[in-house]
Amino acid sequence: MLKLLDGAQTLGKGWTFWSCFLIVLAAALIYPAFADSYDVGNFSYFLIWIFMALGLCLMWGYGGMLSFGQTFFFGISGYGYGVLAINMGGGSTTIAALALAVVMAMIAAGILGYFMIWGGINGIFFGIVTLSATLVLAFFLGQTAGPEWHIGPARLNGFNGMKGMDPLAVGDTYIEGSALYYVMVALIVVVYIGLRMLLNSRIGNVIVAVRENPQRAEMLGYDVRKYQLLTFVIGSALAGLSGALYTSWGQFITPSSIGLPAAAMPIVWVAFSGRSDLTATLVGSFLLLFAFQTITVYSQQMALILMGGLLLATVMLAPQGFVLGIGKLVVDRWTGHRRGDTNAVMADTARLQSDET
Amino acid sequence: MSAELFSLFYQFADVFAFLILSAAGLAIVFGMMGVINMAHGEFIMCGAYVTVGLVRIGLPLAVAQGLAAVTAGLVGVVVEFLIVRRFYKRPLDSLLATWGLSLIVTQSMLLIVGSSITGIGTPEGSFAIGPYTFSTYRLVLFACAVAVLVGLYIVFMKTRFGVLARATMQNAEMARALGARTGRIYAISFGIGAGLAGLCGALYAPTMTLIPTMGATFVVESFVTVVVGGANVLLGTAPAAVFLAMIRMALNASYGQIIGQIGMLFAVILIIRVLPEGLSSVLVRRGR
Amino acid sequence: MKSAYWLSTALLGVMLGTAAMVSTSRAAEPLKIGLLEDVSGDLALMGMPKLHGSELAVEEINKSGGILGRQIELIHLDPQGDNARYQEFARRLLSRDKVDVLIGGITSASREAIRPIIDRTTTPYFYTNQYEGGVCDASMISMGAIPEQQFSTLIPWMVEKFGKKVYVIAADYNFGQISAEWNRKIMKDLGGEVVGEEFIPLGISQFAQTIQNIQKAKPDWLLTINVGAAQDSFFEQAAAANLNLPMGSSIKVMLGFEHKRFKPPALNNMHATANWFEEIDTPEANDFKKRWHAKFPDETYINDMGYNAYNALYMYKALVEKAKSTKLEDLRKVIATGQACIDAPEGQVCIDPKSQHTSHRMRLISVGPQHQVTVEKDYGTIQPYWLGEIGCDLTKKNDKDQYTPSHLPNKS
Repeated sequence: MLKLLDGAQTLGKGWTFWSCFLIVLAAALIYPAFADSYDVGNFSYFLIWIFMALGLCLMWGYGGMLSFGQTFFFGISGYGYGVLAINMGGGSTTIAALALAVVMAMIAAGILGYFMIWGGINGIFFGIVTLSATLVLAFFLGQTAGPEWHIGPARLNGFNGMKGMDPLAVGDTYIEGSALYYVMVALIVVVYIGLRMLLNSRIGNVIVAVRENPQRAEMLGYDVRKYQLLTFVIGSALAGLSGALYTSWGQFITPSSIGLPAAAMPIVWVAFSGRSDLTATLVGSFLLLFAFQTITVYSQQMALILMGGLLLATVMLAPQGFVLGIGKLVVDRWTGHRRGDTNAVMADTARLQSDET
Repeated sequence: MSAELFSLFYQFADVFAFLILSAAGLAIVFGMMGVINMAHGEFIMCGAYVTVGLVRIGLPLAVAQGLAAVTAGLVGVVVEFLIVRRFYKRPLDSLLATWGLSLIVTQSMLLIVGSSITGIGTPEGSFAIGPYTFSTYRLVLFACAVAVLVGLYIVFMKTRFGVLARATMQNAEMARALGARTGRIYAISFGIGAGLAGLCGALYAPTMTLIPTMGATFVVESFVTVVVGGANVLLGTAPAAVFLAMIRMALNASYGQIIGQIGMLFAVILIIRVLPEGLSSVLVRRGR
Repeated sequence: MKSAYWLSTALLGVMLGTAAMVSTSRAAEPLKIGLLEDVSGDLALMGMPKLHGSELAVEEINKSGGILGRQIELIHLDPQGDNARYQEFARRLLSRDKVDVLIGGITSASREAIRPIIDRTTTPYFYTNQYEGGVCDASMISMGAIPEQQFSTLIPWMVEKFGKKVYVIAADYNFGQISAEWNRKIMKDLGGEVVGEEFIPLGISQFAQTIQNIQKAKPDWLLTINVGAAQDSFFEQAAAANLNLPMGSSIKVMLGFEHKRFKPPALNNMHATANWFEEIDTPEANDFKKRWHAKFPDETYINDMGYNAYNALYMYKALVEKAKSTKLEDLRKVIATGQACIDAPEGQVCIDPKSQHTSHRMRLISVGPQHQVTVEKDYGTIQPYWLGEIGCDLTKKNDKDQYTPSHLPNKS
């Protein structure tokens, strides 16, 4: 099993990488001891969004499917959590609500994915269909203001948003503050490791093979559609996880979290970070979320201009994404002294660049 | 009765014009060149703002609109040269670049020009048929949409530039090997696309609220129309617009705008499901 | 020995000095006002005047000695119209900056995003927009006009003047739907007829079909509660199609200043009831406008949101000074006496103890063919009575809910 942690599909291997990983993890774990409670809460809030980015990285970077639908599943699961948490009452049942909400997103992804993938939809058409579905959901939820739109005691409440659900809780204690932070860190680690193992397994290799050349993969005897559907369902489930966690975090969700421009945000995070690698997406999305918030806090009306400039500069200067670009720079410096490693690195970057289709 | 019939035609023409005018520029930039231009709405806004500015200093509306389209086109050429040029080989990154550009442009307009500017009023007056009154200008928009379609067809199918452009889009290396100056062709094509977006903004400027983010109302419709049109943009966009306009008009009329909007998006999903290559794939097959 | 004496004296002096400095800095420690207004993106049009109103009030209050002798510090963050940013920034202002009061929010969704967060603190929150009404929440004080103040004045007047048949164009979300509900209720009481209701999704900018639907229904007048820049295009398109019907609204003119943004006569024959519009011509209002334009010479129009944002700070000042405390519970004790009033540019306004909404002096205005605004009728002060009537009483019970005519409190 552990062998699957390293492999051709993910960057970083050997003791250097994993000791870095452990250092970062350890730093993350002791962070609450040093930071004020606001920062801890804020960090766990950033982590909420990362699942959605990792899911898109899996679908788009590895599977070659550009989905505009991350917020569709985010919304289904977010509203799902709200409806379930209100209907089942608070307390520990909220954890069941979270799990069921993610399952709802997976079922929706299964249906939509089956509909699209078995219909032979791919490329930009895939993007437009998922975008259309997302906008339909957002428009629909936007006009559910009336009291007739309710599921049990849970009112959808239209554009003003659904609220009144309990946050995640164990017994009578809400999971908040540092507790929430540790839960988030644990979830991130589990998802990250899980995805790494999936991608370096046989299944992961097929997923990448399908991205590279679906016909060839099919000729080799794989049912391409099943692998695409699997990728789509897992990626969407992660978006669903983000959605349910978001609703629980703010006890609130609105259709604006689903429609444009929210739907474009995961794509921006992943493209900025470097869509071809999980670690890059994880680090990059976190940095970008942090940067956007900081810029918005400190620069008032200049914020959007700076954010736009940041994105523009990134794609112009670091074509593989911000994190991979920086990473490459560091590795180049490093290997300037140790020429032996260069070939391996070149091979890695070559692999990363090969998916421009 | 004739009033009802005319009203049906008028409503159809109105949605059709909106879809064609907003999609025409994108059809070239996105459909032919493959650039996912998230700043499409900002070219539209550019056309609208320039039109209003020129009308304010006393130019006649039509002249102002023409100049606005040209301005947007020139801006497009500059943008192509500075930014878009680098992304022909990696079109997905163009999404990020143009989205960044669009953030910068809308917010800069907000800071420079202010949160809104005063409109210029719709010209041409109105006419009545039966119990209904209609705005003449909406028919002008329809005429312009048809003219744009015809113009695009002529430019890309009947001129030497059109042949070179299509060749370049299909296989740039080969076209270059055969002597086409592909860099210039890309720049001009992008300029035409941006100019058409500017024209859309210029034409709708008198009828709309003018704010820096006004382009956003056009963007979804334009992407959807182009994509439903399919790979062969010149053949696909018009029937896609006709098709979507009919669906939307029918639903708007019977169930209201919200169902019209949702229904159109559903139609998009279904069309792509049935014709994964877009409408033009059928037309091209028939044509052969 | 002598040196020891001097040393100890000096030390004592330093200690005293430091103590004095600490105590003065205590007294002068500013009151922190957290402000959330969108000054980027789609809503900047309305967010800018709101920010300006708050800035003007803060400057004036600081010049005249602050609140309880403390200066006030305005901490403004720009959520860019994004509800998630509202949540982030509300938390930031509350737990990082530890503000004494939170003000702001434009859309009802942004207010609802803030409420679950503010409800778990003891910080007061001022919502400064006119809105669809009905929020019964002890943490929130609403400064804007609400349906019973706007519709129960406007609609009877429109019916009397133009006729009993109305066609409604409303934005398809909570504000539009609830406003339409109010209209139905009032029209029913008046024996009028709603000949058509059309709900428009936000962001729609093309109205040819709507215009024809209206002509088919042949109403006497239109109730236009369409929202947002895109939907405002209706007026231009209706004018171009020569629709030519009288219009009534609770949000046009004083809020979106459509009469300044569209070329005449697009807004001709529009009627609205407002607690504030820039054309109010009283000595207090004129003085206020002069101060505003002196500070912000480029302001296109001082809308009611900006005006209410200005009032909110003075209301807060009045509450704090009466309570001699910044704690929410102490402020609410002042509100409970019914004496929480200020002399605003429109006239005196007071907070209603039961609902914590504000009474307003309402005036009915009309827009002429050249977009000149005239006052047709002055209704005097109108209380926010509806929430109290249906059973919201914040002096007794904190419902934390939002009610509408079709969603009333459970009788218990």
